[in-house]
Amino acid sequence: MAGHLTSAEKIFSRVSGKDVTAGEFVWGGPDLVYMHDVLGPLTLETMKKINGENVNFRGKIVVINDHIYPPKDSTSANNIRYMSDFAVKEGWDLIPYGEGIEHTLLIENGTIREGMLVAGTDSHTVTAGAAGAMGVGLGSTDMAALLSVGKTWFKVPETILIRVRGNKNRYVVGKDLILKVMSILGTNGANYRCMEFRINPDSGMNRDDDLSIANMTVEAGAKTSIIFNEAHRVKDQSLKSDEGSAFTELDIDLTDMEPMIAFPYSPGNVAKVSDYAGTHIDQVYIGNCSNGTISDLREAAEILKGNRVKEGVKVIIVPATRNIYKQALREGIIEIFTEAGATVSPPTCGACAGLHMGVLARGEVCITNINRNFRGRMGDPDSRVYISNTYVAAASAVEGRITLPGE
Amino acid sequence: MSELARVFIFGDDVDTDTIAPGGYLHLPIEVQKKHCLESIYDGFSDAVKEGDIIVAGENFGNGSSREQAPLILKTLGIRAIFARSFSRLFFRNAINVGLYPGIIRGNYELKDGDEVQVDLLNHMILSAKSEILFIPPDGIALEIINSGGMVEYARKMLGKN
Repeated sequence: MAGHLTSAEKIFSRVSGKDVTAGEFVWGGPDLVYMHDVLGPLTLETMKKINGENVNFRGKIVVINDHIYPPKDSTSANNIRYMSDFAVKEGWDLIPYGEGIEHTLLIENGTIREGMLVAGTDSHTVTAGAAGAMGVGLGSTDMAALLSVGKTWFKVPETILIRVRGNKNRYVVGKDLILKVMSILGTNGANYRCMEFRINPDSGMNRDDDLSIANMTVEAGAKTSIIFNEAHRVKDQSLKSDEGSAFTELDIDLTDMEPMIAFPYSPGNVAKVSDYAGTHIDQVYIGNCSNGTISDLREAAEILKGNRVKEGVKVIIVPATRNIYKQALREGIIEIFTEAGATVSPPTCGACAGLHMGVLARGEVCITNINRNFRGRMGDPDSRVYISNTYVAAASAVEGRITLPGE
Repeated sequence: MSELARVFIFGDDVDTDTIAPGGYLHLPIEVQKKHCLESIYDGFSDAVKEGDIIVAGENFGNGSSREQAPLILKTLGIRAIFARSFSRLFFRNAINVGLYPGIIRGNYELKDGDEVQVDLLNHMILSAKSEILFIPPDGIALEIINSGGMVEYARKMLGKN
């Protein structure tokens, strides 16, 4: 193999069985595919149209009912029944009900591993980058064809290499880093590309920060991502893009970074939290596939401990997985939330995608640590969503207005 | 092949949640389509007719992998979308469901409701005031759209019909 390849070129070369570079069209089968209860049913229906129920994909297939779980109505219940019955019949891996949100769970339980290429029926499959893997989102028909034919096509992505220097301030986390990157790239600055992060060992960013960073790369349009955080080195250093391979570069310095916020109606509308401090809020929503980690729950608990949420503010907290929920119980965090007057939800994609469990009314304003704030994303088209880190969301819950923690 | 089409104009960053709102995503397409683009274009689903096209700005279809977004537009009768750029997932999903995506080059003068001639063969849109060129899909994407979508393409790969 020729030297000087990017990380993406290495992974797509392995999967397609030939040496490829950015821009080439290739065919290949990912190591793992997963589908959920909202895009899964259309996948299975389309698969039947292509080749009956004959599956030619030989990698691992996982079904996870996380989007509208627990089901909110008979239609969503039927969708989950259909996905589960099909998975059992085919001998696919069916994740137990309520186990967690797919992107977080499949990293937590070790299903997604370093160097893998994974495909999911969800745009946030890019979260796999946090595990040193590459995740690519696919629509239902793409997934159906992949299962039927055994492989799918990819255009090998170009790479944006983001070097992160400095160490973070007290209330700055991965969310602020990715929002800062969004402020530079906008909502399509990384379209079709791989975003590769090199985070220095003293940044203060932990593995949960990596998850939050990888997750939102798709908001800049990225096809996939991969995170190399030197604080916890990936085992296989050869996975990194070679120096001298073809990438564009972006430098980010954490030194003076403040908590960031994305205002309605785009995750690309990035400003400093201080610019929006004082804005009235009706709801706080903490937790989804990017930021429902134990680190997020600890951050929220740190702020909410001994405090009450502001009267009239709905505060909904969603641990991303059952294990995170259990850990939070052990640490007394769930009790802190309950004492503070917050509502703790089971793991679900829930209101993050406007599905259920906390959608917004007309005119309501929410601050949240999720990944999207499109018009109507979390409910009524005239509601407004601000995206921030967990510290800021929790501090805002206490004050009833957008608040910088520590002030 | 040149056909008369009525134009719907949209701006930048028309996202998938606007096209296919999450609250209806688990329901049948026939129900979902009534809410298509309702938050930014009042009465869109009633106004659109078979053969209409959309002309939009940058990053059309950004956001979710939900294929329902192009599928609903196609079901409502939209036959092609021309934009300055497309979000990756929307572009792929549009190709797969057989909804033609073209990338506009150069300047144009069009307003909502204009009637144009769409010439997919020569990659141009002809209006009374301007001639708009667009870049067609390339590579495997072009092969798939020429097959009528991914279902037909995959069936061919498997040696069926």
